[in-house]
Amino acid sequence: MTADLVLAHLYPDLLLTYGDRGNVLALEKRAEWRGFRVEVVATQRGDRLPESAGLIVIGGGTDRVQGIVGSDLMDRRAELGDAVERGCVVLGVCGGYQFLGHRYVAADGSEIRGLGLLDVETVAGSDRIIGRVRATASLWGHEFELVGFENHAGRTSLGAEATPLATVDMGVGNGGTGRSGGTEGAVQATAVGTYLHGPVLPLNPAFADALLERALTPLIADAPLEPLPDEMERLAHSSARSLKR
Amino acid sequence: MKFNHVVQRLRACASSLAVRRDALIDALMLVGARCVARLIRLLRMGAGTSLPGRVVDRLRPGLIERRASALPGGVVLVSGTNGKTTTAAMLRAILRAAGHDVVANESGANMTGGIASAFVLDSHHGTVAVLEADEAVLPSLTRRLHPRLMILTNVFRDQLDRFGEPERVVELLGAAARALPPGAGLIVNADDPLLWEATREAGPVGFGVRTSWNGSGTGSLDGASADGEPAVCPACSGPVRYASRTIGHLGPARCPACGWHSPEPEVKGTVLAESGVGRMVLEEDEWVVTLPLGGLHNAYNAMAALAAAGALGVRHDDALRALAHFHPRFGRAEEFDHHSRRLWLGLIKNPAGTGAVSRSVAADPSVGAVVIAVNDLDADGRDVSWIWDAEFEGLVEAGIPLVASGRRAEDVALRLKYAGQDMTPTEHEPLRAIEVASARCKPGQVVAVLATYTAMLDARRRLLSSRVASVEDRGPGDLAA
Repeated sequence: MTADLVLAHLYPDLLLTYGDRGNVLALEKRAEWRGFRVEVVATQRGDRLPESAGLIVIGGGTDRVQGIVGSDLMDRRAELGDAVERGCVVLGVCGGYQFLGHRYVAADGSEIRGLGLLDVETVAGSDRIIGRVRATASLWGHEFELVGFENHAGRTSLGAEATPLATVDMGVGNGGTGRSGGTEGAVQATAVGTYLHGPVLPLNPAFADALLERALTPLIADAPLEPLPDEMERLAHSSARSLKR
Repeated sequence: MKFNHVVQRLRACASSLAVRRDALIDALMLVGARCVARLIRLLRMGAGTSLPGRVVDRLRPGLIERRASALPGGVVLVSGTNGKTTTAAMLRAILRAAGHDVVANESGANMTGGIASAFVLDSHHGTVAVLEADEAVLPSLTRRLHPRLMILTNVFRDQLDRFGEPERVVELLGAAARALPPGAGLIVNADDPLLWEATREAGPVGFGVRTSWNGSGTGSLDGASADGEPAVCPACSGPVRYASRTIGHLGPARCPACGWHSPEPEVKGTVLAESGVGRMVLEEDEWVVTLPLGGLHNAYNAMAALAAAGALGVRHDDALRALAHFHPRFGRAEEFDHHSRRLWLGLIKNPAGTGAVSRSVAADPSVGAVVIAVNDLDADGRDVSWIWDAEFEGLVEAGIPLVASGRRAEDVALRLKYAGQDMTPTEHEPLRAIEVASARCKPGQVVAVLATYTAMLDARRRLLSSRVASVEDRGPGDLAA
């Protein structure tokens, strides 16, 4: 059996701090529920990225663990660059989002180089931004509301090439300078980054479907994905959006 | 010469008066604080488990330290992410059976105020203190109370909106271990690589758990399961391999790259048989003991308590006997009867513990339905993303009716949908959720309630105010029958 969609989950045993498995589960199930055959490939340190990957998910880890995967990830600059070139969708969440940018400047001034798939850079702040987020997102022609929880020390500023994923209605989001203020996440070609946990995809199925639709483009061309009975998703989303702080 | 003698006598007299005056003030403070605690309870302003201690600590600095150092058996501190309350309760049961009068923060008030209150409210001259301490206050408490023994259970990611990262907790526990007074004992989970390595220099005694069945309780032997911490070598950061896995990242590990390996635990329990939430057969050294509670996490708690009892000079067979008669309480494997339905309450608060509890519930033939109640208040952790790292798949596969409850009932129902159960009934209020679950049970079956900290407090409070008593007088190991 060949899969309709190969989903590469990068370092699932290392970048797993904030329910990141939920994002992979959401993508996998929502494609399967529509009849697509999905193969989830755990890509560990030293493993080659599957060449047929249509979707890549990079989660977040603690500072120590992000230091551990950092060098392995940098060895993948060309591999990941090629993947995006051929239309593979890459989602980075929290630490994974920061990795997608040019660089991360830690609190002590040291620099970690990023993959450069998003024209953003992140500077560690003196305090952590922790709390609930509500934002209005626009992604490849889809408009939807995002709810989630943020927990990050980094402040991310967007360069000219990257577009914000969303504007923040509650919470902080990117927290960067200039036009990055009041925005959350970033998009550039098929690379998408966000700070939101929740996890973000089960709680915001429109976001999950936008990513899937793009990743499945070789199969479905421009046809939209068929809708799913999302009552549970809607209930969880609206319950989360009603929370105040 | 004579004059000097008189001055000396006068000085001695004055200082003994001062000592007596200090003792008198101490005594008055304690009486006052106990009255305040009683008043708080009388006026139903709370449990009175934290405020009296905080007030005394403020008004009379040094009193808590004097109370602690006056205990002939010394102070034992228990900390770590999971198992603090149960491990401390098990050790108290062992010590009480050995004739000790134990000073305790039994309700789990484990910040400085709660611990100060334990000393303040102890009016019958305890001989030894066994106190669970929150990870954040452990280093300062260690410096203040000069414990005779410290038990560190494990570190899992928990309350990340409070601690930021689990590495921070490992640092805190390591700092506390280094702050122990000379000659103090230290007992650490030998199956937790990062925690062990952070405390190794302090010379800990290790405890661990194995299973008689092959392989792992969770995940694969290389790479972490989603509910554990990253399986990396604490020495070189390379990937580690496990000889066996129990919960999350716990288990004997070895690093193929640099040769680092987990120590062989000095106190090691092998679980021979597990039959749900109410019974577990453990082999330890040449003994076989039946514990009246299930779950591999409780095997760890029992081994930690056993190692501590040994360090405190309790005879091994006496300690095992006390464990076999252990009576769990306060929302940790606690039982209630509610409208002729037996309830079993289990605390969940992070992925690893939830997985362990869920597995023992799913394996229990007496459980007829399960309520999963998740709150997102400060004490629970405001970010509930962690429920997606917790393994609920086993409960769904077992086909047990599930009900979602708590402030984030909808998140629980959604999590269960992606675990394979399409529609889960949701009831925010715990007693109503219990009633919905109960209606799906056969007569004689148990409703298991898995709840986060404040959801558990809420459920207990409602159960107690609806005049159901916690089930007392229970024989050992007869729960699942």
